[in-house]
Amino acid sequence: MQRGKKLKQLLYALLYLSPSLLIFIVFIFYPMLKTVYLSFYLTNPHGDPVVWKGILNYGTLLSSEVFRKSLFSSLLFVLYTVPGTILIALALALLANARLRGIAVFRTLYSATIGVSVASAATIWMFLFAPGNNGMFNYLLTLLGGPKVGWLVTTQTALPALSLMSIWMGLGFNFIVLLGGLQSLPEDIFESARIDGAGWWKQLQHITFPLLSPTLFFVLVVDTINTFQSFGQFNILTQGGPDNATNVIVYSIYREAFFNSRFGPASAQAVILFVIILALTLIQFGVVERKVHYQ
Amino acid sequence: MLVKKRMFSKVLVILLVLGLLVTGCGTATNDGAKQGASGPVTVTFWHSMGGQPAKTLTAMVEKFNSTHTNIQLKLVYQGSYDDAFNKLKASPDQGPDLFQVYDIGTRYMIDAGLAAPMQDFIDRDKFDLSQIEPHVVNYYKVGDKLYSMPFNSSMPVLYYNKDLFKAAGLNPDQPPRTFDEVEKAAKALTKKVGDKTVYGFSQAIYGWFFEQYMARNGALYVNNGNGRDAAATEALVNSPTGAEILTWWKKLIAEGYATNLGRKTADTQNAFGAQQIAMTIDSSGILPNLTTAAAGKFQIGIAPLPRGNNDANSGPVIGGGSLWILKNKPKAQQEAAWKVVKWFMEPAQVAAWTVGTGYLPINKSAVDQAAYKDFIKKYPAYQAVLDQLHNTPENRVTQGGRIGVFTQARATIENAMEQVVLNKATPQAALDGAAKKITESIQEYNQTMGIK
Repeated sequence: MQRGKKLKQLLYALLYLSPSLLIFIVFIFYPMLKTVYLSFYLTNPHGDPVVWKGILNYGTLLSSEVFRKSLFSSLLFVLYTVPGTILIALALALLANARLRGIAVFRTLYSATIGVSVASAATIWMFLFAPGNNGMFNYLLTLLGGPKVGWLVTTQTALPALSLMSIWMGLGFNFIVLLGGLQSLPEDIFESARIDGAGWWKQLQHITFPLLSPTLFFVLVVDTINTFQSFGQFNILTQGGPDNATNVIVYSIYREAFFNSRFGPASAQAVILFVIILALTLIQFGVVERKVHYQ
Repeated sequence: MLVKKRMFSKVLVILLVLGLLVTGCGTATNDGAKQGASGPVTVTFWHSMGGQPAKTLTAMVEKFNSTHTNIQLKLVYQGSYDDAFNKLKASPDQGPDLFQVYDIGTRYMIDAGLAAPMQDFIDRDKFDLSQIEPHVVNYYKVGDKLYSMPFNSSMPVLYYNKDLFKAAGLNPDQPPRTFDEVEKAAKALTKKVGDKTVYGFSQAIYGWFFEQYMARNGALYVNNGNGRDAAATEALVNSPTGAEILTWWKKLIAEGYATNLGRKTADTQNAFGAQQIAMTIDSSGILPNLTTAAAGKFQIGIAPLPRGNNDANSGPVIGGGSLWILKNKPKAQQEAAWKVVKWFMEPAQVAAWTVGTGYLPINKSAVDQAAYKDFIKKYPAYQAVLDQLHNTPENRVTQGGRIGVFTQARATIENAMEQVVLNKATPQAALDGAAKKITESIQEYNQTMGIK
């Protein structure tokens, strides 16, 4: 009788979950399983699996210099982009947290990039980065007497240049989240700290940061995942070049699957990317979260 | 209990309906098939023209629709050639009736069985192919058959700034024709003015240019007669000719007579328009754009694509796109699409197309049209493009390579060019790597497509 009741409860639970389950199955679980399945094959250009490769696709990938470079570029890109975005957004949020007349104008301006799509942002930055004397950045550098930089055309500058653009893109979202976090901090703690004689820096160090750490942790995880999955700016600005310097994994997956029509190796790359992001997120939860102070 | 049961079945019904919605998204609808015999036939035409060519095409389609009551041509822009092509690859059943495919998509369209061969329509209606420029027809011919109709065709040429030539003491009516002459001219043209350098020459890192230089220097891109005698199995890009081309390219940059402006041809075009470079290589199709940029500032000259040797059986290949009628479409649509194709090939239409875009007048009689005569008066330099078209001998080299993985090959070559220009590898090493990669792609393509 007891067991019957439990089973019935489970069935009801499944029933109520079924709409979301259905959507998850159709749009997430099925494509994921299909990706894993395809990663063991060589497909023809329509995407039908025709030659069984087993784990050979993975072997070829891991021994390929281009793929290792791709992995490395992705990691570098995350390293260049995520800390910069969070630090600048945090500085802006601290500034905009001040209670001043007209502060809303600044808050709106600082969060404005959230309203810009990657495609239009990349197109704007394409003009800024244009080589020779035609780009805005090079024009400004010449005015300052500096050298002209081949922003997107040399291997040394292409990835940092894309990172610069991505930091700018990410500021809006990070700023809003961090400002929200700052505003929800209880004022009385700061008040008692001030009574105890704590200065601005002391308050920041010992109260703001610990209390804000859940929010910081949230943006760290979300930014890392988002940055790993950046695509639009690579597609529009560099297409993986020059000499594969910006051929990050997501772009390389797209290129393999939809240009080269090699869905098998592309799926294998996607599986590897999935594993990496999963591992990174687990590490973040296991290591970084211990330092997070939840109230 | 009964109430619960009823609830259960209600929820179940809702779920089932939801399920229908989800699975239902994939079903294709075909506007054309549903039309009765009475109304006009709608022909959906996917294209990849942007900017000025798009405006010209739209105007021409409006003209077609206003003069044909039983066919309505519906123009749909599908992004770049690559984007449009990838869309069709991903879902061939939801493609258009008429499709503009780039030159290098020819092999795949045939291998994938997507085409209703143009030759069948040509033979049945005894359409006179001799009115079309032979060099253009030969590019698209497979065996003795045309699977598509050439449409927007172009050739690479050397553009040069006549005013900068005069200022440097060079004869603006004697443009350089060989690699050595380009180097000499570039040296004379390179000037430092204040902190700004005007470079003698620059060309975008674009795989198409490499293909063209190969053909110009008499070399095959792939084996088996450029993949035209039999399916290609091996890339030949690392031949001595390939290495010579990249060595010359690199040398110009290393000596400071040329600058690297990256892959985007638009960046190099802008630099030419702003007189930051004195010579460049690009498609004949961009003459109107360059002329607009140069208006009131300098005169543009056009010369044939420079050559690195004296091979007589060489010359540039046709680039651009052709029109395909898709196989899996209803007969009525295919017939209507064929009428559209024939209309586009009429001299008046071809002339309007050339005048509005800069693409080659591929119908020989188009040059007799008043519109074209005005055009050549306005852009006398364009005659050099036509001369190059007519002076090119017909053989396997000048027909150009045909492989199913050309997009990949082109990107691979661009990477090799970057390695050379950015000092990461010697020309031979970079091309050896590229040839290996392209050969692997060709063999994988042949394997998965069942080609022996």
